[in-house]
Amino acid sequence: MTIFWMTVYVLIWPIVVAGTLTVIVRAFYKEWRQARDEGRGMV
Amino acid sequence: MGPESGGQQFLAGWLVLGLLVLFYGGTFIMSLFIGKKKENADGYMTAGNKIGFGVSAASMTATWIWASSVYASATSGYTYGISGPIHYGLWGALMILFIYPFGRRIRAVAPKAHTLAEVMYARHGRSSQLMLAGSNVLGSVISLTSNFIAGGALIALLSPFSFTQGILVVAAGVLLYTLWSGFRASVLTDFAQVVAMLGAVVIIIPVVFFAAGGPGLFETGAVNLSPEQSNFFSSEAFLNQGAPYIAAVLAYAIGNQTIAQRLFAVREDLIKPTFITATVGYGATVIGFGMLGVIALYAGITPLNGDTNNLIPQMAVTYLGPVLLCVFFIMILGSLSSTADSDLAALSSIAMTDIYGHAKGKGKANPRTMLLVGRITMILATAAALYFASGQMNILDLLVFVGALWGALVFPVIASFYWKKVTNMAFTLGTLAALGIFLPVRFEWISMDGITGYIVDVLGIVGVGIVIGLMCFGFFGLKVARVVGIIAMVVVAPLAWGGLHEYAVLSGSLVAYSVSTIICFALSVRSKQEFDFSTIKERIGDFDTQDAESGEPAISTAQKN
Repeated sequence: MTIFWMTVYVLIWPIVVAGTLTVIVRAFYKEWRQARDEGRGMV
Repeated sequence: MGPESGGQQFLAGWLVLGLLVLFYGGTFIMSLFIGKKKENADGYMTAGNKIGFGVSAASMTATWIWASSVYASATSGYTYGISGPIHYGLWGALMILFIYPFGRRIRAVAPKAHTLAEVMYARHGRSSQLMLAGSNVLGSVISLTSNFIAGGALIALLSPFSFTQGILVVAAGVLLYTLWSGFRASVLTDFAQVVAMLGAVVIIIPVVFFAAGGPGLFETGAVNLSPEQSNFFSSEAFLNQGAPYIAAVLAYAIGNQTIAQRLFAVREDLIKPTFITATVGYGATVIGFGMLGVIALYAGITPLNGDTNNLIPQMAVTYLGPVLLCVFFIMILGSLSSTADSDLAALSSIAMTDIYGHAKGKGKANPRTMLLVGRITMILATAAALYFASGQMNILDLLVFVGALWGALVFPVIASFYWKKVTNMAFTLGTLAALGIFLPVRFEWISMDGITGYIVDVLGIVGVGIVIGLMCFGFFGLKVARVVGIIAMVVVAPLAWGGLHEYAVLSGSLVAYSVSTIICFALSVRSKQEFDFSTIKERIGDFDTQDAESGEPAISTAQKN
């Protein structure tokens, strides 16, 4: 692999993790608000 | 790690104490928000079978990532080069994806179950239940021990505190927030832990990469790699790391109660997005940490004391400043605590359901006593894990043993959810025979010269077909699974014949799969049993039908939907 593709190969994972974390945090926040509005616990 | 390593920064005692109080105090306060004066026994085990996507995806990701997987991925990168992290993290991640169709089937058959062993009891009887419950107790205690050891080692490496002090603090911290609310506390705190873990990955990997030299490192450090380590398609990496791991993690994913518990807890329509998100989250996190091993290889770093488990902490103290070192500390603490609390919740559920619940019989179990059993189990399990951890025993052999036991259970368990003819006898004998053959193969107790080696090769080739076939079966059905499984065997046969038995880890796992499948199939195919799967739903239900707060009958998920 060239230097460019090796750099991409190393740095792509934190970007994917950041995307996944965003999805999880947004869903958690939505569920927390919904649970609060309905006056019930999340779990 | 010593100061002679140069340029490294360690954490002061007061700072480590502060971080521990912050982490375990914070998770404990989180658990107080969901604490109930009178906890519900079913809620304690499955959170009422209706948790949402955000919580369940976070929990599945956090549970599947444990400290050992972070360390092992880096070891794989350091040992096998650029493809190493893929052969650890990608296969582990794909296994979460591959088991999701089975998860949906299991949930459809037994929507109100608490443990997989409980379902096996309803499907087959006591011996199948005991085998699954026993393997899970063993697996969870070993996992708990492993996480305590990782915590103790981390604290001993980075702070003035000893290993023993480290494991005591970690054990007390995990027990503190899990004891009262059980699984509910485990899944909720998993969210905070996953944010800490994934957030740390986003920051730490680029920082270490650029501190170690950035893109230029791949030019200057290329001489440190062997041709095999430089090859992205390294056969050595696949045969020694990837292939055995594929076989092992499929077994772990199917047999592990911590995964099953989340499967029974998430709202049924959210199983698919939960598993997909956990697949991506786990894969990217673990492969990302594996890159630290690759960077270490290029940078010419030698693991302290020759132990590759020291690589990750070594990279952290070498390249991270004090603030990021604290972030790293919290991240590893999060990874090991999230798995440890899941193990405690899994063990308590098994004791509550498969020991107390079934000893009392349907409708006779007292939910209050059941909760007491669960909490006492957590305390005893913590004490046992502390005892094993304090000896700093090598748990690798035990982990391999449990992995094989689960490997021997994969086909009988999956077949039991789809095939009406599978009997208790077929399940039990298939599993025991597979275990009996696995042990001498894996630990090389018998000579592999001559015909024995060829028999192991044949069983291993059949095992490859079964593993590939099972992966396809969940998504594409029996016909495709058969075709793909046979093609896999034909393709692998010329490569494996005469040589597969030399790879003891790989051939041991494959033999466990093939022997259990062959015997379970042979004993079931002529059976006249036509099991009615709808009866499982009727046999498994809630233990605690009173709402904890109001004393009113609880509203079931089925009624709500």
